Amino acid sequence: MDAERWLLPVGIEEILPPRAEAVEGLRRELLDLYRGWGYELVFPPFIDYLDSLLTGTGHDLDLQTFKLTDQVTGRMLGVRADMTPQVARIDAHELRREGPARLCYLGTVLRTRPDGFAGTRSPLQVGAEVYGHAGPESDVEILRLVMLTLGAAGIDSAYLDLGHVGIFRGLARQAGLSPEQETALFSVLQRKALPEIEALIATLGVAEPSASMLLALAELCGDDALERAAGILRAADPGVREALDYLRRVADELRGWLPEVPIHFDLAELRGYRYKTGVVFAAFVPGWGQEIARGGRYDDIGRVFGRARPAVGFSADLKDLLRHGAPAPAQAGGAVFAPWSTDAALQAEIVRLRRAGRRVVTELPGQAVTPAQLGCEERLVREDGLWILTPCD
Amino acid sequence: MHIDAPLTIALPKGRIFDDTLPLLARTGIEPLDDPQTSRKLILETNRPQVKLVLIRASDVPTYVQYGAADLGVVGKDVLMEHGGEGLYEPLDLGIARCRLMVAGIPGAGLGPGRLRIATKFVHSAERHFAAQGKQVEIIKLYGSMELAPLVGLSDLIVDLVESGNTLKANGLVPLEHIADISARLVINKASWKTKHASVTALLEALRGAVAAA
Repeated sequence: MDAERWLLPVGIEEILPPRAEAVEGLRRELLDLYRGWGYELVFPPFIDYLDSLLTGTGHDLDLQTFKLTDQVTGRMLGVRADMTPQVARIDAHELRREGPARLCYLGTVLRTRPDGFAGTRSPLQVGAEVYGHAGPESDVEILRLVMLTLGAAGIDSAYLDLGHVGIFRGLARQAGLSPEQETALFSVLQRKALPEIEALIATLGVAEPSASMLLALAELCGDDALERAAGILRAADPGVREALDYLRRVADELRGWLPEVPIHFDLAELRGYRYKTGVVFAAFVPGWGQEIARGGRYDDIGRVFGRARPAVGFSADLKDLLRHGAPAPAQAGGAVFAPWSTDAALQAEIVRLRRAGRRVVTELPGQAVTPAQLGCEERLVREDGLWILTPCD
Repeated sequence: MHIDAPLTIALPKGRIFDDTLPLLARTGIEPLDDPQTSRKLILETNRPQVKLVLIRASDVPTYVQYGAADLGVVGKDVLMEHGGEGLYEPLDLGIARCRLMVAGIPGAGLGPGRLRIATKFVHSAERHFAAQGKQVEIIKLYGSMELAPLVGLSDLIVDLVESGNTLKANGLVPLEHIADISARLVINKASWKTKHASVTALLEALRGAVAAA
């Protein structure tokens, strides 16, 4: 037992040099980026009452949330597994602004189970949300921020996957499905299990044209999906066609801003179907089996906190972004080694170098390692009474 | 069929592999090495963009889910156990057909008390009995399920039944039908999106091959 005290829990990691500095560098860069776009930073609490966490986007996170009993009130507390519900509460209950509120956040969340391929239980979640505006313009703003976020991490080959939950929801309503039937169909649709979709539609006795439209939905994907959908979903309710038009507007405007980003549509992709109300999206990189950023529109997410407002946002795991990206290398100029001395001229030079952004490592008396072993590229030496930089051997 | 993106297809060794090769051949994909004699785990094919990887059946969903393979062929029994999360399964290849069944000594499982079920298919068995309102005790085994009722390890078994000959030879009978099983084509979600044209070209070609089979 004692021999394994060093062992970390499954899915929990230490971030060591130099990766820690890369994580911190990206963190700063992203927060500066969002600040430049007018997004205000919020720090939601690490633990919260469970019933407040498991609202909106948190619904699906019941199993993923670490729970504990509050010794003060006896109520259940949860460690946040997603910060979105907390940010929604901040907008709805604390800020209560008129007009759009733009908020961003960054912090560790905990999950009870290792999440997907990366296997982490402690993602460093970063995200941004726009509250109080309904329309393609704020969707597009968030999507542009997603691509800028990936770009800051050095990811320049991402694909965007776009969908709209209103299409399936409308078709299900048109077909007269009960909530249970809708859930059953949703589940097979997520797996694009065509043989099962076909069997289920037959079992449920869905009439034409709804049956063929629901069946076609699974394969309405690809960059030409909207064009094909216009024909295939011709007989759909106005709500479905409005959703298609909305998605087309988002895509058209996005192509104007980001002509080089490949856009893939998938009208059957319904991430977070239960709480999303409009556009849903995710970003993928080639050669990695899972999405690296995700989001969408979840109007009314703040209703449970007393104020329903339109909302759209995205989130990603900063450590995940770093894994796929090639972030800009740390600023030029390696560390400088300074010998142990109280010489005033040396101390002045050290202060000057540090102010200029250099990293200066001072010798400690009696140390037995060389400057190079400390990662220093240059050292301060005295020549003719002046302290000057020379390369380490 | 136009495939310009590199595609890796995960295939389980054994019956599914043998039945999948003719379907792939009909789409114009054939391994360069003779899979019977080669000991390679990665097989190049006559299409330079297409590679086959040979793995255990129960590992296929994992390989495809994480994108280590873009596509895979796997029995519905394995998918039902895995849950199929993170995968698309758009095509029933109609090969390696069998049935997932409850079996036992004739008249078994009728008495009172909690039944013990020996199976490799823990989740499917749990779901099947739960749907009947029965609380059962599952005993996970990795093979030779037929032995369990004979030596008193379990009351019933849940296993794949093809001809029923193994059951019969051991004095067991099929009791309840759980699901019809056949092999499915599974596709990684990200490959579906980032290599959409190539993946759907292969999907359509296989669909044609299945229809013609």
